[in-house]
Amino acid sequence: MAAPIYSEGVRFVDFEFHPARCHEGNPPVPVCMVVREWSSGHTRRYWQDELQLMGSAPFPTCDRALCVAYFASAEMDCFQVLGWALPTHLLDLFAEFRCLTNGLRLAHGSSLLGALLHYGLPTISGEQKDAMRDLVLTGGPWNKSEQTAILDYCQSDVVALDQLFSAMQNEIDWPRAMLRGRYMQAVSGMQDNGIPIDTETLEKLKTHWSAIQDQLIADIDCDYGVYEGRSFKANRWEEYLVRHDIPWPRLESGRLDMCDSTFREMARTHPRVAPIRELRSALSDMRLSSLQVGDDGRNRCLLSPFRARTGRNQPSNSKFIYGPSVWLRGLIQPRSGWGLAYVDWSQQEFGIAAALSGDLAMQTAYQSGDPYLAFAKQAGAVPPDANKKTHKAEREQFTACVLAVQYGMGEESLAVRINQPVARARQLLALHRQTYRQFWRWSDSAVDEAVLGGRLWAAFGWQIQTADELNDRSLRNFPMQANGAEMLRIASILLTEAGIRVCAPVHDALLIEAPLDELNEVVTATQTIMRDASRIVLDGFELSSDANVIRYPDRYMDDRGVTMWNKVMNLIGEPQYTSDLRLADAPPAAI
Amino acid sequence: MQDKTVAQQNTPSKISTLNALRLPANYGATLGVKKLLTTVPVGKPKKAQFFRTHSDENMVFPAMLLEQKEARETYIVIPAVAQELSELIRPVQLFTVIDRQNNVFLIPVPLPGEGGTRNPWHESLAQAVELAKQNWLRINANMTLGGYDVYTAEGVLPEPEWPEHTIDELVEVAFRGKIITNLDHPMVQSLLGKI
Repeated sequence: MAAPIYSEGVRFVDFEFHPARCHEGNPPVPVCMVVREWSSGHTRRYWQDELQLMGSAPFPTCDRALCVAYFASAEMDCFQVLGWALPTHLLDLFAEFRCLTNGLRLAHGSSLLGALLHYGLPTISGEQKDAMRDLVLTGGPWNKSEQTAILDYCQSDVVALDQLFSAMQNEIDWPRAMLRGRYMQAVSGMQDNGIPIDTETLEKLKTHWSAIQDQLIADIDCDYGVYEGRSFKANRWEEYLVRHDIPWPRLESGRLDMCDSTFREMARTHPRVAPIRELRSALSDMRLSSLQVGDDGRNRCLLSPFRARTGRNQPSNSKFIYGPSVWLRGLIQPRSGWGLAYVDWSQQEFGIAAALSGDLAMQTAYQSGDPYLAFAKQAGAVPPDANKKTHKAEREQFTACVLAVQYGMGEESLAVRINQPVARARQLLALHRQTYRQFWRWSDSAVDEAVLGGRLWAAFGWQIQTADELNDRSLRNFPMQANGAEMLRIASILLTEAGIRVCAPVHDALLIEAPLDELNEVVTATQTIMRDASRIVLDGFELSSDANVIRYPDRYMDDRGVTMWNKVMNLIGEPQYTSDLRLADAPPAAI
Repeated sequence: MQDKTVAQQNTPSKISTLNALRLPANYGATLGVKKLLTTVPVGKPKKAQFFRTHSDENMVFPAMLLEQKEARETYIVIPAVAQELSELIRPVQLFTVIDRQNNVFLIPVPLPGEGGTRNPWHESLAQAVELAKQNWLRINANMTLGGYDVYTAEGVLPEPEWPEHTIDELVEVAFRGKIITNLDHPMVQSLLGKI
């Protein structure tokens, strides 16, 4: 598809920048910008002192012009700090390159250099690029020759963009590419907002972390005896499992499966495993110094849009507050006079599967508000008047079955998950197939499409080439994950364009903030827009959402992290979190 | 709140623009992948196998069967050949049934003898097959009673989804290579002691 006509031109734009005061987590400081006009090749270079004087971009950004960049959220970050209006039409060649090549094994990755090499275009060397980036990240001041070198480097990127655009333009799905460009603007807005952090408590954690780790091990491991110093000993864990008669999944090698997801699964069926799982997770994931918090106390990091094969964002686990252990999310706290809301779609993946497959029974189950219990009723496993209280155990099993189907879990894994014989797991999976036959036909067709057609796609064009990917589980799961990502992108666009302050996208949720006196209205508007986004992606089928509202001085808390949070807070003499959202009295400091 | 006003004004037009960009999730629609019917078992259902019988009379096939229990093979024999093997042939009706996994198979129900009666096993099988037109059920041989115990499903189970095949097509698949049309068939030659 050829590029649409833009009467005021197509321009390639690149900024060089560094974080303010060279501190990661701070907004960017633009160092220079180079703009190149397509076809004429006319190029203009601007140093930072010139940029600061401009009230708007020095080129057309109206709906008759196109702005092209690579990983455009960074350029949009610079637009935001300069106070410039964002371009109406933005094409991000990174997003398009990822979309066109997703699923393929790329020899050189998906950086600008990788894309250029993929199309056989000339590039500067990776070493040269690193050296120039390092020079920019020093934060200056730069002498005249360094300024020239930085501008030359920046110019080399827009020349590369020009060449890459010419190579890619006929492969681009233009209408949907413009939507991805809008999402990169939304990403920039969310990165600019960041997530408010209780920096006082964070500093205390950093200061005492070494002692906290030792004390946590002492407190929790006394019931297990599996640690030696700060090392978790697998042989001692095996002995513990034998002592308590807990069957544990093993790897093909025969060794115990020690990955965190296994501990998490086992903790559900064997609650005595939960504390040691939390401890392991807390100790292994915690790199507090990596968490990027700006001088204004806000967690900002690259959200890494379009990085996952499903098209979901993939921010760094150590830099993003939603990356490390769940208990650490207790550090999220609205600033004075403000509130936060964590709004997530209810059973998003089940709803997407129901809508896109056209399975009416599944849609009815979703719309019941409790799809898991509805599934049990539809399968004839519980009476029509069953509820969460009367049939708790059955509901849990059918919930596990739905999740097992979504993640391609086999009968043995499901049996472990529900702590039931394999025969029961087999029966549950068969009931799913019998109850939701249309869904399974559609899912089978997705696999056929991937195998025979060579690709799968989502509602707004995110796609995966499947020549190198014939994993049945991944292929079946792709439509739910990729359309979930599309839904999040649409919601992020509509929310940020409506002026709602979005702090972060989190898988199937959005964290928003507002002044306390507007919070209720903003939450309602957010839920309305998220409902709209679901209808847009699912051709009229609506997903509901849940909102967890946090008002200053309360803090955000994930239910799964309360116990560990309180243990740690107890150790550093901070108030504990209580379920009624009030802060308890602070205990005396123990460290 | 000024932001909310903006949201309310802008969203409808944005939504219609976005709707126009949506791609359908009609995977496989242009590939024309179709499941072929390659196997249709013939026999009684397994102990634990719930089944339903097709209620359409056109989905019943009268046939003369020759069963070779040693080889676990069943042949259809045309009437002219059946006359030559009369004592080995069993006249049956082949009922179309389906299990909960959507597997279609044929249950042969022996016809009553010349006196209009069936033995108790055949009679109870015929009753079960008839009952299964309305209910999901399974059957289990009861040696003491000399008939089948019938168990109906207690849950409200979904109706079966029948494949779009005629009874002739099902029989053709079920007895592929096992239709005896003349006396030269090796099986007949063997039974007549000619080889």
